Amino acid sequence: MSAEKPAKTSKTDKTKIDNTEVATTVSTLLREHAENQFAEELAELAKIDTKQRPPNWKLSPWAVSTYLLGGKLDNGFEVSPKYIGNKRIIEIAIATLTTDRALLLFGVPGTAKSWVSEHLAAAISGDSTLLIQGTAGTSEEAIRYGWNYARLLADGPSMAALVASPMMRAMADGKIARVEELTRIPSEVQDTLITILSEKTLPIPELNSEVQSTRGFNVIATANNRDRGVNELSSALKRRFNTVILPVPDSADEEVDIVQRRVESLGRALELPAEPPALEEVRRIVTIFRELRNGVTSDGKTKLKSPSSTLSTAEAISVVNSGLALAAHFGDGYLRAGDVASSLIGAVIKDPVQDQLVWKEYLETVVKERDNWKDLYRACREVD
Amino acid sequence: MKSDRHSSNSNEKVHIFGIRHHGSGSARSLCQALEQLQPDVILIEAPPEAQTLLPFVMREEMQPPIAILIYEERSPENSVYYPFAIFSPEWQAIRYGLEREIPLKFMDLPQAHRLAFKKEEQEQEEPKVNPESVETASETSSQDDIQPNPETPPELNPEPDLRLYRQDPLGWLAEAAGFSDGERWWEYMVEHRRDSHELFAAILEAMTALREELDADEDFVESPADRLLEQQREAHMRQTIRTALNEGKERIAVVCGAWHTPALVNLPPAKNDAAILKGLPKVKVEATWIPWTYGRLAIASGYGAGIVSPGWYDHLWHNFQYSSSQVAIRWITRVARLLRTKDIDASSASVIEAVRLAEALSAMRDRPLAGLPELNEAIQSVLCFGDPLPMQLIHKELIVGDRMGKVPDDTPMVPLQQDLIRQQKRLRLKPDTKTLELDLRKANDLERSHLLYRLALLNIPWGRTQYSTSKGTFKEPWQLEWEPEFAVRLVEAGVWGQTIIEAATAFTRNQANEAKDLPTLTKLVDKVLLANLGDAASYLMVRLQAEAAIAADISHLMQAVPPLANLLRYGNVRQIDTNIVAQVMDGLITRICVGLPVACASLNDEAAAAMYELAIAVNRAILLLQNSEYAEAWHGVLSQLADQSGLHGLLAGCCCRLLLDAGIFTANDVETRMGLFLSLANEPSQAAAWVEGLLKGSGLVLLHDDRLWQVLDNWVTKLSTDTFDLVLPLLRRTFATFPAPERRQMGERVKRNQSNQIAVSSDSNFSNLDIERADAILPAIAQLLGINNASRSC
Repeated sequence: MSAEKPAKTSKTDKTKIDNTEVATTVSTLLREHAENQFAEELAELAKIDTKQRPPNWKLSPWAVSTYLLGGKLDNGFEVSPKYIGNKRIIEIAIATLTTDRALLLFGVPGTAKSWVSEHLAAAISGDSTLLIQGTAGTSEEAIRYGWNYARLLADGPSMAALVASPMMRAMADGKIARVEELTRIPSEVQDTLITILSEKTLPIPELNSEVQSTRGFNVIATANNRDRGVNELSSALKRRFNTVILPVPDSADEEVDIVQRRVESLGRALELPAEPPALEEVRRIVTIFRELRNGVTSDGKTKLKSPSSTLSTAEAISVVNSGLALAAHFGDGYLRAGDVASSLIGAVIKDPVQDQLVWKEYLETVVKERDNWKDLYRACREVD
Repeated sequence: MKSDRHSSNSNEKVHIFGIRHHGSGSARSLCQALEQLQPDVILIEAPPEAQTLLPFVMREEMQPPIAILIYEERSPENSVYYPFAIFSPEWQAIRYGLEREIPLKFMDLPQAHRLAFKKEEQEQEEPKVNPESVETASETSSQDDIQPNPETPPELNPEPDLRLYRQDPLGWLAEAAGFSDGERWWEYMVEHRRDSHELFAAILEAMTALREELDADEDFVESPADRLLEQQREAHMRQTIRTALNEGKERIAVVCGAWHTPALVNLPPAKNDAAILKGLPKVKVEATWIPWTYGRLAIASGYGAGIVSPGWYDHLWHNFQYSSSQVAIRWITRVARLLRTKDIDASSASVIEAVRLAEALSAMRDRPLAGLPELNEAIQSVLCFGDPLPMQLIHKELIVGDRMGKVPDDTPMVPLQQDLIRQQKRLRLKPDTKTLELDLRKANDLERSHLLYRLALLNIPWGRTQYSTSKGTFKEPWQLEWEPEFAVRLVEAGVWGQTIIEAATAFTRNQANEAKDLPTLTKLVDKVLLANLGDAASYLMVRLQAEAAIAADISHLMQAVPPLANLLRYGNVRQIDTNIVAQVMDGLITRICVGLPVACASLNDEAAAAMYELAIAVNRAILLLQNSEYAEAWHGVLSQLADQSGLHGLLAGCCCRLLLDAGIFTANDVETRMGLFLSLANEPSQAAAWVEGLLKGSGLVLLHDDRLWQVLDNWVTKLSTDTFDLVLPLLRRTFATFPAPERRQMGERVKRNQSNQIAVSSDSNFSNLDIERADAILPAIAQLLGINNASRSC
């Protein structure tokens, strides 16, 4: 893993150096880093941002929150919202990073934890690539440093033989490091973070040296509610994080808005030759997701069984998206019930036995009864 | 001429202090301003009827939060509260005046008029639907007085209602200035301008501008009634100021809600105000102090003019000497200490981080000071690890707080209230919240229990029994929770009598008269006997007797039996005269025995199941009473029922079982009836129901009686496959109620019967054994079994 990382970053570094030429190469990328995709917004914000910036921050906290939440600048420039939801949550997150406390974003899968962390890092440090992906196999080297063994054997231990982790580079440069899925990392490896977070230093005993963090360094970690208890954070580590819980969207309208926006921007990125989905179709999918998630119909009258899947907003987005792809390539270019049916069922049914029952029940009792949902009902029956 | 002099000089003599109701910052500034002014009279926005209550304020027993309760003498439910906390500016002004012996005057429009308005309004509203009248009620309540209407749910409009500008204009100014919290804004203002007098001048100016703006604003429409009421109130305030001026006072301090300040600055000719106040309706009112709680001050308990965070204001009031960052630190420390008592880790390091985050947050929001919202967010994120649950605890214990006020014992009270206090003293029961376990064998505890039950009868549920008590137990656990509004209920209950026992008796008799059916009465009987109201009980028995005589529904009569039986049997613990109960019981049993056969005819499954439960309950009651007359009558009717044709199988089976248990029927009798009912001519479902009736609860009888077992066995084996499918669920339902060991024994029995048959059939094979070969292994077996000798002798 550590061998792969530097190669990747060197590439992005290059793209950053010759920014003017990039335009052509950029479009070949499947997905761009936030700081590149929204480079214009960040530049505009930096231009008008006169408020005080914490050391090594590219923007002031106010500008960071505007970048995330969207808004119209004084000069008329429109900043698109990246996170739709409670403003306070983003404010707490940013305020946390202005103190030297690390930030832990917590929530069920698909509540935009990684998304928020990427954009925060992009807005604060202008660099969202200092990323450590947490897995059960994440080793201490991935968080601290590894060795270039050829070098080590030839010259003995030296700074030159050291392969820095993203964490180490973030410390040296005063940037934001990101740790994804913190709770997936084995506990003994997690605890490597304690010294880094409390003493802001990364000792290198082999060289009798250390890397001390420059101002502006901080860590954003994300963790999953559903994984609670997998590798629970030790209380010592927990204490070094401020925890912000990202909730599932409050209202149906908010969720429809999120799905609509994301689908549009993803569709643009993927260049799907389909019409953007009708609001009604999106609303229908969001309604199904919300009803199954909450275990009650939207009118609050009928109780439903909930499936084992999380049914997050992110999944709703991907359902609409794959529906769009179907419509574009095999349909008439308009999103129809038939196009979403299969991916919808795929999203709901995660456990082939239990969820199948839940879905059947929902289909027969709720979907079938609704007046304008006949097409969806038929489409879903067909897929079954 | 005199009035001319007033208008020219009034500005110098009258000093108006616009305050925020329950604002701790206002209170502090007000204290400073009064100290500076040294007034010779203080006028306070409060109803004049409460003026007589002032002497109680300086008493040591008086501890806020408390409230002035004003009620109409003839219908106490028409009432209004004026709550005060220690940090209420009005409270501080009153104390300031009393400490320095400066005359105090309450200047608001008398509640005698306002309650009269309310009464008129209610009379007009009566025919209308309920929700509407609730709405108008909350509209007329302005600023500091609220209606005792706990049922109205708290409404927190996301859209700022225009009415709210009037309720808390300063809060809105604070919000406009970018503060999350009105009190923090005030603090900030005061800290920057040490001179609080100047601050009040600024408030006056701001309010004048606000009111002019709102008057001009067409969207801001008040109902005419509201506007009129406001004019009347302000006219009365002005009149009071004029009186003070006429008395030649030189430094008049006027303490009122900020909203009213502009109206009191300039005094128009007195005759205008006199005209406004002329001929107002009037009712006779009474005023008293009652204890209040922080929980009631909070908006969440359902009144419009409350404050959201009394505990936080209390904290601000008590920590005013510290700098603003200290206030935040002290608050978070208190939170951490609270969390620790609940076994939630909260280290000092976390406290430090929480303070820093709160400061960073307020800086991000361009707020000079961290208000409660910032503190809460920081606490949730640092101390609670993002978890919202501990926040609820913090909200309940700290932000709202659980402080309860006290008033002196001799505050004016209705006789009923005085009686309650006497009894509380005598029985050593303080009006607070706790759990209590009473031992009913002790005289004192028994009386306590009686008192609590009597209060419950009067709709004052001070104590709640922890689980439904049966009178067989002499321990009685209670959860006590005194609510301030009980004071009002006591006043209301005052119409029924002068003492608790009198009122409870009278109230119950009234209820008994109104009760339309037997079950209501039966329930009442239960409560009355628990409350030991002898008079009410005998009256109830008469009513019960009368009602039972005309009751058409046997099931109601049957329902009445078990509680009365309990009472007859165990009544002595409570020293209840059981003679009257026995009398009623006689009547009940007789009627039941006469009516039961008819009542049981042609019931469907559901009704039969209900009747089954009742029959079992009555049977238990009769067993309990051990009265041979009752038992004889009851068994008579059961025997009659068991053979009644067309009876539901469940009931018929049940009768057989009850009679078998009582030893009236022999196993023979039951066997005959079982065979009869289980014969194939009968509907299989009815037969299954009969089995259910017979066996429900316990199947021991089957295990002990071979004949019954055989009859049942025969019936089951003879069923055709189709009918077996039909009755299987019914039988299963019955057998599932048996205890596991019984079921196991039955299973074993069935198996044994089968293996017996196998053993018999294998007998024939026995002759084919090769005896010689069998002999060969015998020594080995004998050795294994340790019977060597036996084998030798063999």
